[in-house]
Amino acid sequence: MRQWKLVLAGFVLIAAWPLLVHDVFYQRVGALVLLAAISASAWNLLGGYAGQVSVGHAVYFGTGAYAALVVYTEWGWPPIAGAPVGMLVSMAIGLVVGTPTFRLRGHYFSMATIAAAELARILASNWPLLGAAVGLMGPPRPRSLADLSFISPVPYHYLFLAVLTVLLALTAGMQRSRPGYYLAAIRGGDRAARSLGVPVLRYKLFALMLSAAFTALAGSLYAVMVGFIDPDSALGILISVKMLIVAALGGAGTLFGPLIGAIILVPLEETTNALFGGGGTGITFIIYGAIIVLVARFQPGGVAELWRSATARSPRRAA
Amino acid sequence: MLLEASNIIKTFGGFRAVDGASLTVNEGEIIGLIGPNGAGKSTFFNCLAGDAQPTEGTIHFLGRDVTRTSPEMHARLGVARTFQMPVTFEDMTVADNVMVGAFLRHPGRTAARRAAEEVLDFTGLAPLGATPARSLGTPGRKRLEIARALATEPRLLLLDEALAGLTPAEVRLAIELVRRIKARGITLVIVEHIMEVILSLAERAVVFHQGKVIASGTPRAVVDDPAVVAAYLGHHMRRVRRD
Repeated sequence: MRQWKLVLAGFVLIAAWPLLVHDVFYQRVGALVLLAAISASAWNLLGGYAGQVSVGHAVYFGTGAYAALVVYTEWGWPPIAGAPVGMLVSMAIGLVVGTPTFRLRGHYFSMATIAAAELARILASNWPLLGAAVGLMGPPRPRSLADLSFISPVPYHYLFLAVLTVLLALTAGMQRSRPGYYLAAIRGGDRAARSLGVPVLRYKLFALMLSAAFTALAGSLYAVMVGFIDPDSALGILISVKMLIVAALGGAGTLFGPLIGAIILVPLEETTNALFGGGGTGITFIIYGAIIVLVARFQPGGVAELWRSATARSPRRAA
Repeated sequence: MLLEASNIIKTFGGFRAVDGASLTVNEGEIIGLIGPNGAGKSTFFNCLAGDAQPTEGTIHFLGRDVTRTSPEMHARLGVARTFQMPVTFEDMTVADNVMVGAFLRHPGRTAARRAAEEVLDFTGLAPLGATPARSLGTPGRKRLEIARALATEPRLLLLDEALAGLTPAEVRLAIELVRRIKARGITLVIVEHIMEVILSLAERAVVFHQGKVIASGTPRAVVDDPAVVAAYLGHHMRRVRRD
């Protein structure tokens, strides 16, 4: 009950954020926090709940981003119309990447996902349809409302909030039903899960495809907001790493962990970018690296776990 | 006949871990697989559970060929197992661990919860339902594995050293649990090192040595079999017979 109130308070605060701050910089940070929370929550479906750590989710993010701008450059559609295309293509890519790589365990799976994502980045850098190394531009000026091209970050804030709410509601529903239990069992151990009748490969693919679809949606939303993408900004390894770090920092495998991670990390990143300008990418890498080390060493459960142990009233009894 | 394994051979490289072993299991009995370490009983056991595929030979469960069937399909058909080293889902509570098993026959959350609660009561784990599995000790983990397997509502339950590492008092509790599982109409195959357990529980003992079945029969007859005693149970058996 108390937790439910806390969630409601958090939601109201996030919904009111653009009205509370008038500086465009802070409004933009708010929208970017939500966007990062969407992609990290999508990553969390596979990496957190099912425990299959992908370091190649940029391939799905990039698919969504490119789909949004390709439907514009090729057919003149509003970019957001590319989102369902990107989601479908991502699910297909997930199936192709997942079927062989899920036979690999642990680090080998993670390494295979990196390879797949790098392959996609190199492919995009050389494919004229995707603008090759130069990238793609969205509509230079909005033709209609459907282009979702706004100067103010505020409309994006609410668009992202709506998508995040849907994704988290879906995740919460899954967590309480058979697929949620089965994914948690897979995270606990393939062998034990299979002995209990869990079709492990099918559920891993299910988690990957769901995760890929929402990651692609995040990519489309990014392209719609920014209006310009190139292989590095849509398919770079930093994008994959960021999803992982945001989720792990907040708490992988928890409902609100990715959102908490985004609330901590994105403002930090935007501030360093603002302070150090274009040279900030290096700093971002250093921050990411430091966070990986600190989370892995001191708090593998992320901030959500820290919060849980801090609020636990009575110590649990052991058998 | 519930299960029939014929002429199972399992090789790892050039090594024959199981070398032409056969076993038939009838509905409602408790069978003990015994033998020293490295006798091949665990490998044979894994073949029965679908966790390993025999190099040669066939396994039939309820008349159906399950030799190359996946472990998840075994569970679906009614073969459940526990592991020598318990592999409980550490992040989940005891009740949620059992829920995973219960979801096999009850796709809905409410029905699965009800089925899991029944199993928790049956195994005496109900008071620990909300405890995280990681805080359980060895006896608790072994019991939880049994509960989780029971929640899949099996016809045949394979227990891999479910009693090893327990204190004598805990062993007595576990024996009592196995008896109650049998009373539910579930057939059991148990791999066990402790002879006392086999003598007090099993109706039939099957002795493995170097990948082969060298003796089979009532536990009493098997422990008195000179070939078994002479071959390798040796001093351990004499101690038991003195009791």
